[in-house]
Amino acid sequence: MNKTLAFCSRTVKEIIRDPLSYIFCLGFPIVMLLLMTVVNESIPEEAAMTVFEINNLGPAIAYFGLTFVLLFTSIQVSKDRSTALITRVYVSPMKSSQIIAGYTLPMLLIALCQAAIALTASYVVSLAGDKAFDIINMAVCLASLLPSMLLLVSVGLIFGTIVNEKAAPGIGSIIISVSGMLGGIWMDVEALGGALEKTAKILPFFHGIKAARCALGGQWDDMISPLAVTAVWAVAMYILAVLVMKGRLRKDVA
Amino acid sequence: MNNIIEVKGLKKVYGNKTAVDEISFSIKENTLFSLLGVNGAGKTTTIKMLTGLAKPTCGDAVVCGKSITENIDEVKKMVNVSTQETSVAPNLTVRENLMFIDGIYGMGREEAAARTKEMIEKFNLEEVESSRAKTLSGGWQRKLSIAMALVTDPEILFLDEPTLGLDVLARRDLWKLIAGLKKEKTIIMTTHYMEEAEELSDEIAVMIDGRIRAIGTLEELKKLTGKDSLEDAFVEIAEKESEVVK
Repeated sequence: MNKTLAFCSRTVKEIIRDPLSYIFCLGFPIVMLLLMTVVNESIPEEAAMTVFEINNLGPAIAYFGLTFVLLFTSIQVSKDRSTALITRVYVSPMKSSQIIAGYTLPMLLIALCQAAIALTASYVVSLAGDKAFDIINMAVCLASLLPSMLLLVSVGLIFGTIVNEKAAPGIGSIIISVSGMLGGIWMDVEALGGALEKTAKILPFFHGIKAARCALGGQWDDMISPLAVTAVWAVAMYILAVLVMKGRLRKDVA
Repeated sequence: MNNIIEVKGLKKVYGNKTAVDEISFSIKENTLFSLLGVNGAGKTTTIKMLTGLAKPTCGDAVVCGKSITENIDEVKKMVNVSTQETSVAPNLTVRENLMFIDGIYGMGREEAAARTKEMIEKFNLEEVESSRAKTLSGGWQRKLSIAMALVTDPEILFLDEPTLGLDVLARRDLWKLIAGLKKEKTIIMTTHYMEEAEELSDEIAVMIDGRIRAIGTLEELKKLTGKDSLEDAFVEIAEKESEVVK
């Protein structure tokens, strides 16, 4: 049996058997999708507020769900570190790279499933209106979220490694709030302008959501730039996550 | 009987604190060796060094013919540990926990299934085999924890305070289990329960402040101190300033 796969299988089971995973990764984003769709119906056309239109809301909700994957990644890693189970793993012949992959791969898989379900739910909503999603654009949108998945899982790995299991949910909640506001999930950051827009554009969340929105809208040329920014962030954060985790593993067996 | 562990001048320093101070001893194959001492004596740190969880500051140990400072990856394949705290994956069933450990040791699927079945039978885990670990009582969890350490068929099994926090019935139940295991495995057990060391050990090392103050069979320790019980012998050894190694 492959050691990494065995560890991956354990991580997946630990997450999917926790009912909170379903509530936060699926239930809550879908409730928000429905709620914001209803809100959108009440917004007068002259307000020119398009952030809650389904073609903008769908990708944003998928991203919103992914931020909960970050939360669950940080909780899982910090929880494992606080229990003696990780001692068993350290005593075993597993290498640090296998342990890191044992967290990363399952969380990416969960993130992919979560985003696919969120986009499908948005598709169903889009069928009820006059802006039904194009299936190919949906697939491209899902693919465009891959760098964001890696980014958010990496941030989860970093915080799960450096903070304890009590602090991890708090830190995760802060990032969820920041990404929601500055990423443009709940408001049009570009329309607000000023320091808020500048700050939003420094952080990766805005670019990840913009890339997904462009992908769903079929504006593939416009997607390239924000996607590239997100990909650079994702690779940098994953490298940082690997360094932080390896450092912690070395410290734990010093 | 051959020595399966040879510890030579092993020392571990954390900052200004010397947790283990140049200890040396050897352990014979298929015996149960107890490290007896109060909390903070250095028992767990000794186990950590022998299993690769901590690097010695100096000294070395040869475990199953391999040096822990030069070949720790090889040593890891031949040992396993049941830690002081119960170490199970809470959302996995008993069977899945055992399969998980087989998996991270790189065991083939068929062999893993066979070993898991064997452990379930050996530890009488049948009635809880499909239950999630987090739903088990402390006694069952500790049994599972030891089964998880044994499922990889290690040459040496390290049991760190195996009955800590268990009620008297669960403790006695585990004693029976450990007594059965020592016929087929070399077991290194840490404990601060005198009656546990007395009941189970073939040889006992008394650790005080990171040093081994005495080592021998129960009878040898009693004879050495002129006391009738291990507890009295332990107190006598602990209160003596000079070392009384056998």
